[in-house]
Order: sequence, then structure tokens, then C-alpha cells
Amino acid sequence: MVIYLKAGSKLRERLKPDIDYYTRRIETEEGKTIKEILADIGINPALVAFVYTSGKVKGLHYIPSDGQSITLQPPVAGG
Amino acid sequence: MNNGLAGTTLRVNLTTGEIKRFPTDEKLFRRWHGGRGVIAKLLYDEVPRNADPFGPENIFIVNVGIMSGCYIPSGSKTEFGSISPLTNGHGDSNMGGHLGPMLKFAGYDMLIFTGISPKPVFLYIDNDTVELRDAAKYWGIGSLDCEEQLKKDLGEDFEIATIGPAGENGVLFSCITHDFGRQAGRTGQGTVMGSKKLKAIAVRGNRSILVHDLEALKKQVAEIIQRTKKHPNMEPWQKYGTSFFIRWSNDNAVLPAYNFKTTYYEDVGKIDGDQLIEHCLITHKACFGCWMNCGKYTKAVVEGRPVVHLEGPEYETAATCGSNLGMKDINHVAYINWMMDNLGMDSMSGGGVTAFAMECFEKGFITKEDLEGYTLKWGSLDDVEHFLDMVVHKRGIGEWFAGGSKRAAEKIGKGSEKFAMQVKGQEMSGYDGRWAPGMLLSYMTADIGAHHNRSWTITVDMAEGRESVEGRAKIVVYLQHIRPLFDTWCICRLFWGELDISPEEIVESLNHITGWGITVDEALRTSEMIWNLTRCHYLERNRDIGRVFDYPPARSWEEKIPSGPGKGKGVTKEQVEKMLDEYYEARGWDENGNPTREVLVDLELDFAADNLEKIGFLGKPIPGGVPPIRGEKYKPKAF
Ligand code: SF4
Repeated sequence: MVIYLKAGSKLRERLKPDIDYYTRRIETEEGKTIKEILADIGINPALVAFVYTSGKVKGLHYIPSDGQSITLQPPVAGG
Repeated sequence: MNNGLAGTTLRVNLTTGEIKRFPTDEKLFRRWHGGRGVIAKLLYDEVPRNADPFGPENIFIVNVGIMSGCYIPSGSKTEFGSISPLTNGHGDSNMGGHLGPMLKFAGYDMLIFTGISPKPVFLYIDNDTVELRDAAKYWGIGSLDCEEQLKKDLGEDFEIATIGPAGENGVLFSCITHDFGRQAGRTGQGTVMGSKKLKAIAVRGNRSILVHDLEALKKQVAEIIQRTKKHPNMEPWQKYGTSFFIRWSNDNAVLPAYNFKTTYYEDVGKIDGDQLIEHCLITHKACFGCWMNCGKYTKAVVEGRPVVHLEGPEYETAATCGSNLGMKDINHVAYINWMMDNLGMDSMSGGGVTAFAMECFEKGFITKEDLEGYTLKWGSLDDVEHFLDMVVHKRGIGEWFAGGSKRAAEKIGKGSEKFAMQVKGQEMSGYDGRWAPGMLLSYMTADIGAHHNRSWTITVDMAEGRESVEGRAKIVVYLQHIRPLFDTWCICRLFWGELDISPEEIVESLNHITGWGITVDEALRTSEMIWNLTRCHYLERNRDIGRVFDYPPARSWEEKIPSGPGKGKGVTKEQVEKMLDEYYEARGWDENGNPTREVLVDLELDFAADNLEKIGFLGKPIPGGVPPIRGEKYKPKAF
């Protein structure tokens, strides 16, 4: 299946977007968690605080479905 | 003035009530870039080294910087400064909201308060009308209550900064509050306001700010607006703010729990961002000129207590007043946040001091008798409420804790200083640095005591290897130069930093505003100059070699993390020493942590070198000369 990962700031460089400035198309297997997918593409999951999809925050154990677009949110120091 | 400045500086002598107007010193702003930089220079020049932070010789400065209030994103910050009663060194702290821009719209870049008022007053500014007004009616009431009352009395369109009873009573970690939830929390700036009997500042204005090249600025900002609208970080930030990072901190062993005993909080799910949004959120809130609106306006609903309204808890407060106190209900954390806000206490230090007291109670170092019959157990809202009441009124042992955890540990003894989680008297923010050594070094070397905003390295620690301390010093030096520039220019680090706006673009905006035509390197050099000046100031006031002030409490190296994903991890004392050695070397200071003449002269701070030499704390010359690679060239790969 295919998912679309998006990232900005420091994570963007690690993601290596190919569709547009922020987005990378990833072919992966059904049933894999975001954490596993990140490991597959060589991104340390600890550098992702959470993922954001369809207006909701999800943890790294979230299992995406085919065609889904998912934003990776980097951790940041509080205010 | 076509350079972002409003044009006028006010000097307010609180002892005599005299208010004088001066043209803003453009050369001073050009050289020190406003905000924290101008504050550092004025404190260095104007406050005698032996002046008591509570005395009339301490000055209290409100500085709006160059970029605040201008036509740029998040130009919202106001910087406050005075000698910190908490650290006894240069102190500064800032907040967002709308106060700074409004001060500029009224025509003022800077307010400098001297002396001590014989009675409580507030400063009233309505464009050209500037008056010290009687504040008897407001003295003694909470920060948030006072802001509400002043708005009723003066008009909704006034922007207001207040202190609470903590500042009035001399609690050393008192904050300044504005916009019902924005705080300049750190270094006890609210304490200094209170010591001067200055309850509030209320301002209204309707003038324009002129800039060097408005067309170029408009073009640049229009492009930033379009770009940031599409940025993937924007929507999550708008919806959730910083509260969602608490779970990540827990998963990655940096979340302080139970007074930094561990970095794993088993009940994180009860206090994290999901809970905040589900149970407390009322609406989203933004500062001036910002469309990221990370502020969350909320309510705390606790049975048997009135429903209260507040902004937050954002990440730092959720950590320092949540997991660090063992709280198990987001409404309780929000209620503590509200109490601290209304009492006028910095919630980071307030949480740190309360957690320290809880551990002292657990160990039997303080007892029910000391606490007027109350206990002080992890997770008890009743206990925290009573303890804070003792602190704010300095009743019994409350007086010890009103001085912060360092001073309280000196009273309590029994080795309690090992777990008073502070550096230079200021409590740590919401990150444990035992398995994030760069973060620990950031706390150790921050010029205002343990605070994350000068340097935050946790993702760098992860990327570079958490077991090793190698190379961390250079990263910390770079961050200590780049991050405080936001407090110097008075814009929001979160907006510019998290939405991929590069330092070059920020400097371009600064140039459109000022016409200075500077580079990022020049800005970093100014930041290094400010950093060295605040270091010299600290040594001149505290009269010892720098190194003795740069150690964290012994828990940081004596105790490994006992539970969770970081179990068994932690730095050694040798690693702490090594990081300090590398840090001083990277700064061009000697091994005692004293700035050297070579570096100070290179930064045109010859006067500071002379002053350090007179008191015997000038660093020994560095064999081989000054390292040529301070600042920008240390920029690590991760950036
Ligand atoms: S990002 Fe948050 S703190 Fe910064 S200016 Fe915007 S609302 Fe204020």
C-alpha cells in the first residue's frame, strides 16, 4: 500500500520529500505501525513526537491505511 | 525614526514620582539590538555591584526591542530585566501577548524604573499621558483578578501587566502576568516589581511604527504568510499547542517525575494533551501578529472548588506542576497552574520548589507539624494548595521555600541540596538532563540559572548519541547565541523556529525594519557579546571563579534514572567535568570558567575585562590565543 508522509522543520531533511516540498510517497505493508515505517526508512522514531492525521493527534503505534496522508511532528521545547 | 523604534524612553523614579522622557538611544539599540541586549548593558552600567536586588539601586527595565509591534509574524514579545533576587545576577524574562506592541503604539521603546515607591502604585500610559497612579485598591489581589479589575476601571483596550501577592510579599520566584495567562516567569522579575511597590503597568496607544523599507517588508511577510499557511506543523500547533509533547518526553526519558527522581511517569495519560483538549479547552489564543495561536484558554473543574479560567497548562507547567508533583488529573494540574498564575509565581520554579518540599516531606526532613497539620504528599491538590498559601504568605517554613529550593535546602540541611533541582538558584524547567547531557550542560551554563530557553538540545542529544558528552559543548554555545536573539529582538522563537523560517530570513526582516544591513554572523557576534557581558556581571556580583556556579545538584550524576525507558542511564561526575572543560574551551574562557581578556577584547568588552581584572577573576590567558571558531561556525549538522 502507499502512504504520504509530511514533515517540516528539522524532520523534513531526514524525510527526503519527493512529491512536493514537504511530502514523501512511501510504499509499505499493511498493518505496520508508523514507528515501524519510520525505522524502515531510516528515521529515528525518537525524533518524532507524534503524528497528525485527519485533524487528530496519534501516537507512533498508529497503523495507517492505504492512501493516507500523515504529518510527522518533531518535538520542541515548551514556551 | 524609520527603524522600528517608537522613539521615546521613559525613566520613572518611583521614590520621587518623577517621570522623565528621553529620545530612545538609537546607538545603544544598534549596538545591543534591544530587548535582552540593551537590558544587559544597562544593568551592567547602572546597578552598583553591591546593590541589593530588593533595594532602590536595582533598576527594573521593560524593553520592547526592535521587532515587537512591527509588521512581521509574532512580533509580540516584551522583555523585562533587573538584577535577579533569585540568582543575584543579570536577570531577564519575556512574555508574549500584546503589551510590548501596545507600548510602542503609545510611543515607548523602554521603561526604566528606579527607586522604591513609598506606596503601591501602577504606571498608567495613554499615549502622551503618563502617570503613576495609586494602587491601594489593587494591592493584595491576584494577578489575574487585578488585570480584570484594571480593565473594568480603565477600559478593555488597555494592555496590562500585573504582579500577584507573591511579588508583593517578596517570594523570590514571582512572575509578571499579562493577557490572563502570559507570564514573564523566570528570574523573579515580579519580585523586583513588588519590591518597588509597582503593582501593574497599563498602557493604551494608537500610533504607528515607522520602518526602513515597508514595501520590502510587506513583500517578505506576504511570502511568509503564504508559506507558513501550508507548513505541516501549523495545524497541529494551532489545535494542540505544546501540551502534546509531554507523552513524547515520557517515552524518551526526559520528563521529570517526583522531583526529578525519575524520568518515567506511569500516569502520563492522565495529564497529557489529550486530556487537556478533552476536559479543559475553551478556545485557542494567540499573541499579537501570530496565526499559530499556540495558547490554549482553558478551565479547571475540581469538585468543591470554584471553576477557574486560565491559559494552559502548556508543556513546561504540565511537567513541572504535573508529573513532577505526581498529579493524576489534568484538572488538578490546571488548577495548580491557575493558583500559581493568580498568586503570581513562576510555575516552573513554583513546581520545582513544591516538588522539592514534597520529597523533603517524604524523607521526613519536614513534618506535618512544620506544615501546620497538613501533609505534603505526591498528587495531593489539597496539600499543594495549603503549601503554596504558606509560601506566598511566608508563614513558618513557607518563608524558607519562598526563597526557592536552593535557599530552602540551606535551611533544611541533611543533604537536601543534592535534590534541590536548580542551578544558580533557579529551578530547572520541564526536562531531566541525566540522559540528555547537552540539556544538562545547557542548564548548568545558562546565564540566568537553569532554564531551557537559552539552549534546548534534547533532539540533538538523541541524534548525536545520548551516552556520550563529546562535542556537546560546541552545540550548546551555538544555541546560547542563536536562541537568545529572539529575546533580544522581541519576537517569538516558536513561530520562527518551528515553521522553517531561517535565521537569514529573520535578519532580512530586521534589516527591512532597521536599515542596518547586517548578517547572521554579526547578529551571533552580538549575542556572544551579550553572553560574555552577563557572565562578567555574574562574577563581579558573586565574587568567585565561574566554575563553582556551574554545577547542577548532585542527583544529576549520583543517581541513575531508576525506572522507565531510561532505567540505569545517567551521566557521571567525570562527564559533567569534561563537559564544563569543553564548554569553557569553546567559549575561550579559562578552565575556571572565567572569561579571558583576549575574548572580551575581541568582543569589544575591554571595560568588562578591566573590571574582572580588578577583582581578580579575569581568566588566565589561553595558550595559543582565542579560539577563532566561536558561534556560527559551531553550527552543528542537526541545524
Ligand atoms: S507561537 Fe504561541 S507564543 Fe509564539 S507568538 Fe504565537 S501564540 Fe504567542
